[in-house]
Amino acid sequence: MSAWPYLAIVVGAVFIATSARLPSRVERLGLPAAVGLIGIALWQLACVFIFNEDTPTPGQTAGAFLEILRSNRLWSDSIASLYRVTWGFFLAAAVGIPLGLWVGWSSRSFKALNPIIQGLRPISPIAWIPFAILWFDIGDGAGIYLIFYASFFPITVGTMAAVRNISLVHQRSAMNFGLTGIELFRRVVLPAAMPQIITALRIALGVAWLVIVAAEMVGMDSGLGYLINDARNMGRRYDLVAATMLVIGAIGIVLDVLIRKLENFDEVRWGYVDR
Amino acid sequence: MSSTGQTPKVAFEGVSKSFDKRGERLQVLEGIDLTVADGEFVCLLGPSGCGKSTLLNIVGGFETPDAGRVTIDGVAVTRPHPKRVFVFQEYGIFPWASVWDNVALGLRDLPAAERAEIVQRTIDMVGLKGFEAAYPMELSGGMKQRVEVARALAVSPDVIYMDEPFGALDSLTRLTMRAEIIRIWEQEKKTILFVTHDVDESIQLADRIVVLSARPGRIADILEVGLEHPRDLGSPEYGRIKNRLYQLLGVEHSV
Repeated sequence: MSAWPYLAIVVGAVFIATSARLPSRVERLGLPAAVGLIGIALWQLACVFIFNEDTPTPGQTAGAFLEILRSNRLWSDSIASLYRVTWGFFLAAAVGIPLGLWVGWSSRSFKALNPIIQGLRPISPIAWIPFAILWFDIGDGAGIYLIFYASFFPITVGTMAAVRNISLVHQRSAMNFGLTGIELFRRVVLPAAMPQIITALRIALGVAWLVIVAAEMVGMDSGLGYLINDARNMGRRYDLVAATMLVIGAIGIVLDVLIRKLENFDEVRWGYVDR
Repeated sequence: MSSTGQTPKVAFEGVSKSFDKRGERLQVLEGIDLTVADGEFVCLLGPSGCGKSTLLNIVGGFETPDAGRVTIDGVAVTRPHPKRVFVFQEYGIFPWASVWDNVALGLRDLPAAERAEIVQRTIDMVGLKGFEAAYPMELSGGMKQRVEVARALAVSPDVIYMDEPFGALDSLTRLTMRAEIIRIWEQEKKTILFVTHDVDESIQLADRIVVLSARPGRIADILEVGLEHPRDLGSPEYGRIKNRLYQLLGVEHSV
């Protein structure tokens, strides 16, 4: 066994110990890189001393990553997962935001619908897989339905809460200046709720990305979740499983970074001060 | 400046109001009678919890009295009115809209050219020229309050209600804002009802000071401030009014 893990841990530790003196930009990028390096080294050591032999090392995982990259599986299965998440998420936003605005604003519709929404919300989207397959057959339809269901509740409930949290002084400003109907919604209700709506979208997208992997493992025949299952079932290829897991994490980070771009618009930045 | 001999602009007639707080009945205002003349600057002064903000919310149409009524130009107030505008205690301007859009809020029905002309003039008047495109979070507390004042002035209001508008500002900014308000008021001659718990603020601003007693809020006394603007804060008369106000509020010689 080579000595590189020990060397990596020493290098990482020395960097962490001394990095406070470096320019803050270098520190900001370097610190997580050093922690990551130590983590990979510990992973390697654990494979040698703790885990059983089927557990892939960092090197084997990297090799498996190149393998799925070359075989085109990575590309087609990522596209399959992203396609379902994209459609399910946008449909959920298209229905959930208007519904949340309406239910949040009208106290009668809140009384009527909130108990139903709260009652359906705790049912795991995974529990819907049998019905999703019954109604839509195995494939994109079932996946889109599950993602719609998984993102619909965070979006709707978050939008409702956002509207109900509009400050009294802004409501009174709107009343004082005679805003009613569509104009009230356009100029006050929607913009006042928007920062929290964006946060709800962010949470929903995170949940959607978690759910699609689980759904594909149980009831689909393509996608990154299916790739994980497939790798394990065909010859216990745990190196492929680990490589796919890392790809899932990376795509999740990219999705979150993309949706956070919405927080930078002038009209909503006020909602994120103190961050 | 007193209201005798003409129809009052604003008249409170036996206004009472109570709230239920955890099952207990809390009498906040009791039998308030007061008239305010057109163009008059009246301060409602009292300790916190005396119901002065509630009184302003009632005349503003946000709350209804349990007994009595408030009339403006002889007509009973039942709801907020776009020509009788609040300047709020917390920042009531919209953080999601630029300074320009905030000031334009009450001018939606005007033709674009006329609207632009009024918005620019009002922004200039409150000293925010150059900040038209800025968002409230980019402004200091004093500047935000100027936007709030500009939004109210832009609609050429009939009556302006101010609920401790400068309470959140530092003391120097507060002094500048008071001077600004007086300058604008002398220029525009609007009727202003101004709620404050600050004795100096009331003497610096008001034609008349209405002193409210603590719960239940009743009118303890009404003082005429006979001083010309700009007021000399060191004059004997200023000191005399100040002593009288401290006496009415029950805090004379107590510090």
